[in-house]
Amino acid sequence: MNAPAKSSLLHLSLTDAADALKDGSVTAVELTTVALEAFARVDEAINSAIWLEGAAALEAAEALDKKRKSGAVLGPLHGVPMAHKDMYYKAGKLSTCGSAIRKDFRPTYTATVLEKLEEAGSVTLGGLNMAEFAQNPTGHNQHYGHCRNPWHPDYCTGGSSSGSGAAVAARLVYGALGSDTGGSIRLPAAICGVTGIKPTQTRVSRHGVMPLSFSADNVGPLTQTARDAARFLAVIAGHDPKDPTSAREPIPDYEAALTGDVRGMRIGVPTNYFFDAIDPEVQAAFDAAVAVLEARGAVIVPVTIPHMDAVAAYGGIVSRVEGGTIHAQWMRERPQDYAVHLSGRLYPSQGIPGTYYVEAVARRGAILKAVAAEVFGACDAFITPTLRMKVPTLLATDIDAGTTGAIETFQDVSLNTRPINYLGLPSVSIPCGFDSNGLPIGFQIQGRPFAEARVLRIADAYQRDTDWHRRLPRHAS
Amino acid sequence: MQTPLRVIVAAQSQTWSGIEQPNEAAGVMADALAGTIAAFTALRGQLAFEDEPSSFEAALQATKEPRP
Repeated sequence: MNAPAKSSLLHLSLTDAADALKDGSVTAVELTTVALEAFARVDEAINSAIWLEGAAALEAAEALDKKRKSGAVLGPLHGVPMAHKDMYYKAGKLSTCGSAIRKDFRPTYTATVLEKLEEAGSVTLGGLNMAEFAQNPTGHNQHYGHCRNPWHPDYCTGGSSSGSGAAVAARLVYGALGSDTGGSIRLPAAICGVTGIKPTQTRVSRHGVMPLSFSADNVGPLTQTARDAARFLAVIAGHDPKDPTSAREPIPDYEAALTGDVRGMRIGVPTNYFFDAIDPEVQAAFDAAVAVLEARGAVIVPVTIPHMDAVAAYGGIVSRVEGGTIHAQWMRERPQDYAVHLSGRLYPSQGIPGTYYVEAVARRGAILKAVAAEVFGACDAFITPTLRMKVPTLLATDIDAGTTGAIETFQDVSLNTRPINYLGLPSVSIPCGFDSNGLPIGFQIQGRPFAEARVLRIADAYQRDTDWHRRLPRHAS
Repeated sequence: MQTPLRVIVAAQSQTWSGIEQPNEAAGVMADALAGTIAAFTALRGQLAFEDEPSSFEAALQATKEPRP
């Protein structure tokens, strides 16, 4: 491979960067240097990072280059610079969780996913901006400044993995960990124009990850392409003895599944819920995406998702109650240290009866079985728009600023993503166009539990025929 | 006239958890629980008294894609 020009090094996909490192056309130090330079140049406009440790990252990159020279290659991400949502614990390192309450928090142990990424050879640059305690779908942050959309800084990035979406879109890093409890990987992926996968519930260890909702939290990557996501996910997936809730399911070769072949695959399009009051521009982009998959040989089938009223109602309270429980002590002792929109959201959970919560949790398995029987009996995967609305501005969704209608808009952002968390299904969001304001539109692909390979295969097939994921925003490296 | 939800939530939150309403937005969001109540009301009767215990993790396994 010819050495890529320095200016375009960060425009490579994660897999291309890893391959360039492997064949020696670039070094980890070169990639880390350009990434840090790009943060210095671009991040003032988008505020995607909370902290960076440039010197430590360069030192790590240098050590990785030496290892490679000596023939010791750590893994598939050897030398690839990344940064992660600032809620993954690393012993002795800052982990603010996007909050004032944890502005000086330095955990004493390390998240399993960070250990796996380090074992695979990645270089960590720092901690990325996020919604306070991962609890908003827009990317507002009163403590570290709102993360701003690289396509237009007046607009939301989506949340809660706001910095992860913005930094990958702006080509500051090749990949970033996000977390997804109600859409927090897929929303910033869709809104910033990148790829983000929420794996099956229990697929990835949560040891050392800030909790929001034990029933619905998921760890996953945001990257430029579906192939990048496949490589990244293969590194972090799998059972972890330190997280007894993590599944013992074998990890398939996700990249090997990316054949581009979706001929005969039955892809469902729901006839209920997911398109209610949808914006016509989002609908048009979605319809065009369906046509791309159909042209590739997929068979499009209408499906009705059963029990959607229950899924929406139950999915709406599980994480609220669990989050409200986790934060109860701080809500008693220091409510003023939360942003208004967060304390306002946490507080009503104290009024939700325990019987409602138990009903929602108790019926989850039975509802999943009913959905699987009816939906996945008729199709192999189903697709929906990731959001029903066009990307809102930061102002339109700013509850703390008292914007009229902000609470309603804020809640509507995650209407299509939250039900998928309740069902625990794997879901990948990929870009499929732009709205009339120049902001990205995305759609999400869902499969049966542990069918990450299938949803990534569909996403990759789509990306072979489209270039939405390759386009560069206004603020980019 | 029915008691506003924010009043009910305030009493519950204070009584059971010792948490006070932190701001006006919290009151608005407490009032918005009316939507949750309506949704649950519409679902009444779906959880049966004799429903067997279920495990979501077991359901994930039971519904996964068959291996090729």
